[in-house]
Amino acid sequence: MENIIGTWIAALLTLCIFSFLYRDNPFFRFAEALFAGVSLGYYVGQTADQTIKPNLVIPLMEDFVGNLDLIFAALIGLNLYTRYVPKVAWMARLSLAIYVGYYTGVNMVQKLHGEVLPQSGATMIDLVSTAGGQFDWGGFLNALVVFVGVLAVLVYFFFSLEHRGAVGKVSRLGVWYLMLGFGAAFGYTVMGRISLLIGRMNFLVNDWIGGLLRGYPS
Amino acid sequence: MESTGKRNGLVQSLRNFDRRWVFLLIGLGTILPIIYPIGFGVSTTPPVQQLYDKIESLTPDDVVMLSFDFGPTTVPENGPMASAILRHCFTRGIKVVVIALYPIGGRALAVQALNEVAPEFPHLRYGIDFVNLGYKDGAQALMKQMGEDIHGVFPTDANGDPLSQLPLMQRVHNYKDISLVVSLATGVIGEWWANLINSQFGVPVAVGCTAVSAPKYYAYLNTGQMIGLLGGLKGASEYERLLLDGHPSVSAPYNDPTRFNAMKGMDVQTIDHSIIILFIVVGNVAYFLSRRRAARV
Repeated sequence: MENIIGTWIAALLTLCIFSFLYRDNPFFRFAEALFAGVSLGYYVGQTADQTIKPNLVIPLMEDFVGNLDLIFAALIGLNLYTRYVPKVAWMARLSLAIYVGYYTGVNMVQKLHGEVLPQSGATMIDLVSTAGGQFDWGGFLNALVVFVGVLAVLVYFFFSLEHRGAVGKVSRLGVWYLMLGFGAAFGYTVMGRISLLIGRMNFLVNDWIGGLLRGYPS
Repeated sequence: MESTGKRNGLVQSLRNFDRRWVFLLIGLGTILPIIYPIGFGVSTTPPVQQLYDKIESLTPDDVVMLSFDFGPTTVPENGPMASAILRHCFTRGIKVVVIALYPIGGRALAVQALNEVAPEFPHLRYGIDFVNLGYKDGAQALMKQMGEDIHGVFPTDANGDPLSQLPLMQRVHNYKDISLVVSLATGVIGEWWANLINSQFGVPVAVGCTAVSAPKYYAYLNTGQMIGLLGGLKGASEYERLLLDGHPSVSAPYNDPTRFNAMKGMDVQTIDHSIIILFIVVGNVAYFLSRRRAARV
């Protein structure tokens, strides 16, 4: 029974959202607000049940003295809420400072070690390579496209020189590279959005109407 | 003179075309192939083949960590990936540790995927062949911490049972005990597996991402920070094709007409993309004709 009710609620809310394709209306706004509210509530409940309870409450209940470090972490988190009390709102900044410090440290290493160095390295490739003793024309063209593209796009984003003459021409080539990149991204975006439509339509056709015709699975 | 007038009328009507007709056509182009599947072929690409080959190279002693880093909004893309990868691992007897780092629905979708796939392999036992550790908040921080101690991050599994009671987790303590991480990601979490965890801990990483974010993942694939990539529904359909060709014994759920899979979804993609391309061509023709007319006036 719950399955039938759940399927019908989901189907009607899906139709509410789709109704925006015709024009804005109260059904769409209701479903939109409901989705935002349910998502937030779900997030809070999920974090309480799956993170705060097993990683903080239960360890403290089982071995309070052995897990005293958790009290420190919990206080840092709770301290964020002092921002709602004007007289002590400044205290929240202490917790924020710790979080910002931690994530800045993590991100600096991550960006340098995980992005800047490997991505830079990947552009420094041999233009001349061989495959099976033969000159690798495919590899050469690939390397050339990467090499020229990186330089051209970097020139496009180099604003200390006026984009005229040779610099302007290379910059123009950079724009072409960017446009090709945006085109690929847009094509993928269309595919992604159509996939979401397929998911919803499949639900309406097979789960909702199909369930109505065949009988809903228990 | 008359033909010029007709052309001007056509251009004008195209410029004033109500876009709701486009929505209707796309809707029909989506519903009809769902009801009457066409069965267009699926060709495979190297990034998908590489992930498939990696899992083929693993043995039943190996452990794959499958991270559900997506929510209900991208289930049509990431869901089929999860089912196919779970089926691939289970049919080869590879151990699977499931986690969820995406807050809105990651855990529920992990449970749903396991409930769908695990019963197809009745000989596999929870706790020995696979575990579901559930969801934890704070993705980036805990991903790093798992490099030292997974048990510290996940003291219990999704059911609340201590990890010490799960035989599989008695031999899995950090990334050194993991042969492959597969992140099914809707956002940036997949990137963190590549640029944080692979870079710092060296564990092989593959990502099944949404189509929207696929282009940026190719950069990590080219640097070797990822060993494979499933990009959107197309990537999922390729993996399903490889799985069915390599392991026909898992074909039953893919032959069920009432169940969605990525290969069926690609039928719809083909039809809808054709409609979109047609409208792009018509729209551009109308634009250039109207510009020429304006130049004449």
